[in-house]
Amino acid sequence: MLWKDKYELGVPVIDAQHKELFRRVESFLQALRSEVSWDEKIPKINETLEFMKGYVVEHFHDEEEYQRSINYPGYQAHKQIHDGMVNYVLEVSKQYDQSNNNEDLMQQFGGRLMAWLINHVAAEDQRIADYAIEKGVRGNER
Amino acid sequence: MKDKLHKALIDATHNVFELMFNISEISDHPTEDFECDDEVDIAIGIVGDLEGEVIYRFPISTSLNMVKIMSGMEFEEVDAFVTSAISEIANIISGNVATALSDSDIKCDILPPMQLELNENKEYEIETSRCISTTIGDICLDVRLNKAF
Ligand SMILES: [Fe+2]
Ligand SMILES: [Fe+2]
Repeated sequence: MLWKDKYELGVPVIDAQHKELFRRVESFLQALRSEVSWDEKIPKINETLEFMKGYVVEHFHDEEEYQRSINYPGYQAHKQIHDGMVNYVLEVSKQYDQSNNNEDLMQQFGGRLMAWLINHVAAEDQRIADYAIEKGVRGNER
Repeated sequence: MKDKLHKALIDATHNVFELMFNISEISDHPTEDFECDDEVDIAIGIVGDLEGEVIYRFPISTSLNMVKIMSGMEFEEVDAFVTSAISEIANIISGNVATALSDSDIKCDILPPMQLELNENKEYEIETSRCISTTIGDICLDVRLNKAF
């Protein structure tokens, strides 16, 4: 399992989205790492990639809205980190299309995305939750 | 300076290992000749008040263990996925080091991870190696930096 309970931050609205995000990333990683030949797995990879990408954007957006609703002081810096990741995802997708589904490119993307996401949730997102809990605004769900 | 740098590096590695791999016990010691069968070397360039690089040397078994813990999946060999995941870990640790150093007024930025061939002949003011031992394997950190002030 990609998701681990220790990634839970204690803010239900964010935790629920993180679980969904990890589920989608996991489907993508499973397609990427499955034991069949590259050509055979391309359709599944492309499908799970699109499904995951859509949710990355949606989650980042919702999490930013949440930060604003609780007046989180690190909002701007956090948004910059999200924007940086979205740009990376879009850039790799473009290169992937242009390269006619290059395998190394997607494997590199998968490895980085996984490590990035775990650290982002465990380190950066945890700070939002710590603030919400400290201020007693954890249940404030927009 | 050297001590500050070491402390920042060890602390950052410790934090990242605790956060991402659930490993809280790590120890470190200086090393002259870090040896392992085969390894993944990731260089992170440093620019700013300090210039040079930190080279993260992850033995293959350490690398595979790290990726297994993160993904919950099995990995048999170091491929593009593993190298990229390990590079991101080196990047995250280095980012935390840069943040810690900026708190003590040393301003540095980090460059994207590279698997690079090193210029062995170049001279550095600060040149040290540190071996970090963890329950999922060792890591060696080579530091090669010049002061830019
Ligand atoms: Fe998040
Ligand atoms: Fe976030």
